[in-house]
Amino acid sequence: MTATKAVQAFVDTVDAAAASYIEACVHCGQCARACHFYETNDDPRLTPIYKLQPLVKAYKRHKAPFSGIKRALGLAPAEVTEDELNEWSELVYDTCNMCGRCTLVCPMGIDIAAMVRKVREGFVAAGIVPEGLTGAADRAINIGSPLGIKPETLRKIVNEQAQEVGIPVELDKEGADYLVILSAMEILNFYEVIGALARIFKQAGVSWTISTDAYEATNIGIQMGDKEIARTLVGRIVAAAEKLKVKYVISPECGHAYTALKWEGPNLVGRPYSFKVIHILELLDQLRREGKIRTSGMDKRRVTYHDPCQIVRRGGVVKQPRALLNAVSEGFVEMKNAGVANICCGGGGGVSSNPRAEDYRLRAFASKKKQIDDLKGIEALVTSCANCRNVIEEAIDAYGMELPVLGLTELLAEYLDEGGAGEPPKPAEA
Amino acid sequence: MRLVGCILLLAAALAGALVANLPSPLAVSPATAADHVPGEALGTESDSDLWRRVRQGESFTLSDPRLGAGVLVQSEGEEWRSIRNGPVSWYGGILVLVGLGATVLFALLRGQVKIEGGRSGRRIPRFTMAERSIHWFVAAVFILLAGSGLIILFGRYVILPVIGPTAFGAVASAAMQGHNLFGPLFIFGILAMLAVYAVDNIFQAADAKWIIKGGSLFGAHAPSWKYNFGEKTYFWLVVFTGLVLSATGILMEFPTLTETLQYLQLANILHGIAAVLVIALAVGHIYLGSIGVEGALEGMTAGTVDENWAREHHDLWAEDVLREIAEREKTGAGIRAPGAAE
Amino acid sequence: MILVEIIEGPLWYIAAAVFVLGALWRIIGILRLGRRTDLSVPRSAALPGALKALFRHMLPHYGFFNRTKLHVFAGYLFHLGLFAVLFFAAPHITFLEKRVLGFGWEAMPRWAFIVAAQAAFAGLILLWFRRIADPTMRQISDADDHIGSWLTFIAMLTGCLALQESNVSLRALHMLAVEVWLIYFPFSRLMHAFTFVLSRGYTGIVYGRRGITP
Repeated sequence: MTATKAVQAFVDTVDAAAASYIEACVHCGQCARACHFYETNDDPRLTPIYKLQPLVKAYKRHKAPFSGIKRALGLAPAEVTEDELNEWSELVYDTCNMCGRCTLVCPMGIDIAAMVRKVREGFVAAGIVPEGLTGAADRAINIGSPLGIKPETLRKIVNEQAQEVGIPVELDKEGADYLVILSAMEILNFYEVIGALARIFKQAGVSWTISTDAYEATNIGIQMGDKEIARTLVGRIVAAAEKLKVKYVISPECGHAYTALKWEGPNLVGRPYSFKVIHILELLDQLRREGKIRTSGMDKRRVTYHDPCQIVRRGGVVKQPRALLNAVSEGFVEMKNAGVANICCGGGGGVSSNPRAEDYRLRAFASKKKQIDDLKGIEALVTSCANCRNVIEEAIDAYGMELPVLGLTELLAEYLDEGGAGEPPKPAEA
Repeated sequence: MRLVGCILLLAAALAGALVANLPSPLAVSPATAADHVPGEALGTESDSDLWRRVRQGESFTLSDPRLGAGVLVQSEGEEWRSIRNGPVSWYGGILVLVGLGATVLFALLRGQVKIEGGRSGRRIPRFTMAERSIHWFVAAVFILLAGSGLIILFGRYVILPVIGPTAFGAVASAAMQGHNLFGPLFIFGILAMLAVYAVDNIFQAADAKWIIKGGSLFGAHAPSWKYNFGEKTYFWLVVFTGLVLSATGILMEFPTLTETLQYLQLANILHGIAAVLVIALAVGHIYLGSIGVEGALEGMTAGTVDENWAREHHDLWAEDVLREIAEREKTGAGIRAPGAAE
Repeated sequence: MILVEIIEGPLWYIAAAVFVLGALWRIIGILRLGRRTDLSVPRSAALPGALKALFRHMLPHYGFFNRTKLHVFAGYLFHLGLFAVLFFAAPHITFLEKRVLGFGWEAMPRWAFIVAAQAAFAGLILLWFRRIADPTMRQISDADDHIGSWLTFIAMLTGCLALQESNVSLRALHMLAVEVWLIYFPFSRLMHAFTFVLSRGYTGIVYGRRGITP
């Protein structure tokens, strides 16, 4: 019965695009060459297209043209079994970040990453999802954040940051131009970004706020493959943004948040938004070009930039991080494959929330490590996704490396030319 | 053989002379009529003398230069035909059958050469993707060329009597066309094979010991690097015959490369000899590489071999590889891709 | 001879019909599944994205070429060789003119025909051995891949055997092999010849809207 639910979900999720992908694959194996999991393990099963097999079988048996005749003649693939689903769980959840490099290399242009997402929908229907993800989903739905950050915690952290930088941060401010959402990792681990934003926006004269109804940017539903959860989570942000009548929602330094809100969100909630979505890097670069933020001094370290997959390759924000980094860094060098084809940190697509996948994730980092090592003498790694930052820091520890990881927004704020002294700290308004 | 050939030529010459002297029922040829041979020949020379000069390959000035070469009859052609349809066909056929027979005999007497220690379950890389691709490319083309080549050489004796001339016409045409198309691919293949495999096939000191111990085919453990003496010998024979086949093949496909007809004839003979030689050897190679030796084929397909197989057949090479793997794991060097060593 | 008549007559029509109708049915079947309109606000236009993807994807870019060299080389060797042979070899043009289109075009010289055929064979042999030799390929390949490869090879081989163009049986054998290939085509992975346009196109649309050429 579990398998039947999965098969039904598989069949339902295949549209013309997915069908053409399945019908175009020639089993050429090139996708394997782009995958960092494949590269760092002796296992041909990690070939990206192989991950789709349950979905492909279900489609070919039930939905493909000629599937009826083939079934009658015994030429259609066998029905997917629960055993198969259990066997594939590791391939679908533990060893895929939905990073999309396989999509780039496929000669037929098959969006394998998007297809993995579709496969996950079947697994969700069957209830075969790693605990780490279901736990995060529960917390996200019930508490408001996958890491369990409650609104009170948010207020406290925002307050502390406001105090530290001497700039008041107004929560739930109606009529602000920009609504900032944050990823759980940022709020918990890298909260200095809040202070950084405060300083930058003050200089740029940007009116902004954070909503206590919807402060969580990450969307565990999208990572899991659960449309309902995805819809609920995006819906909260949309509702908050429309309630506060903001012009823009800023997607933060978080990978999947941008894809979730900008590209998938409207389709999940079923209508266009009344506000625009802008990525923090897009906004910062725009402000920089308009002269609204000024920097002075340059970072002299030899640094390189890690491209978060969902922002760059699958999001389209390629040039802005580089422009911003070049504005404050003298020693910025690009790693091999920088930009659209950069290698994933290993933590995206729910893998970092999945303790079962830790070994794979750490092994996969070897590909990223090689990129960094090849540059010789890198003193810091800059990126713009809190999840990447966290994952990379953990991996750096595991590999015994010494390498600070910096957030781009924070780095920018470090070199902000603020002129006069800061104002006396005021508590954040409730 | 040559004596018989000469006698036949002479007989033919005499017969020709006889025919030339018979009165034609239809018309009287000017030569016989006026006792006068047109062209350069003097009327006083006897026809058989003239015919002898023609048959010995003398060059004449033709009344119509468009007729082509001044050499009217090239007697070596008959020699060539006799050799090709004679010893080459006969002994060549025997050689192929001997190769086949020897392989079968070996298979019956020795049986499959098993891995003595049984499979270890651990695998070590043996052939890279490049080595395997080249090998199988050459192998595929070789099968096609050998098959069509055998039809070209032996078909008229072996197939024609069975299926008759009409059907054999189709078979022969097909064989010829296929052979000519795949020939040039073989040339690329052999050159690529030389480039990729030569360095590991240089003869080394251990090879002498291997011969003395009769190779691992006969029970005793014999030392070997990546390739043993037998394999190295086979490789160089294949390269040698392959180059001969390539050169002679090119000449036959592009005959205008030379003006000397005898070179083409020689090419044809050498091509046949080299071919039957390499085919006879290939039968043994194919047997040993597939079912004859347990654990051999997987090296050339999947690229890895069982560790015990490696130790038993190529011990010195196996030690090297295992040492390298151990070192790499210690330093945690690099990212390993699945499959064979890249 | 009756067999030859069947091959050159009714069987040809059947094979051609199955090929055309089957391929159409399959393509239309895929398109009919439809796709929900994308409600997100695009960064740049979708259609140019699709077109860019269609052409850009012909060669692995973004630095992937190094890792896919064998496959790209053998793949193009085979496809370009076969394309040239299919559409620019004199006997095929004559066939298309007489039995399919009613018009023909300039053929390539015979030596080019032979070289193209050799390239096609070389590519196909290399590709198929890659499929059985590479562990990844062994993992993901199925019967369809092998049957498709071999039917194509046999069609090409019988064509090569008939190169003297003087024997009716050899030509008929080639035609039969091609007819089997045509009948197999719409039900198999050989359809990638048409579906690649769709797959590249859709991905091009999705990524084009995001401002990326995939």
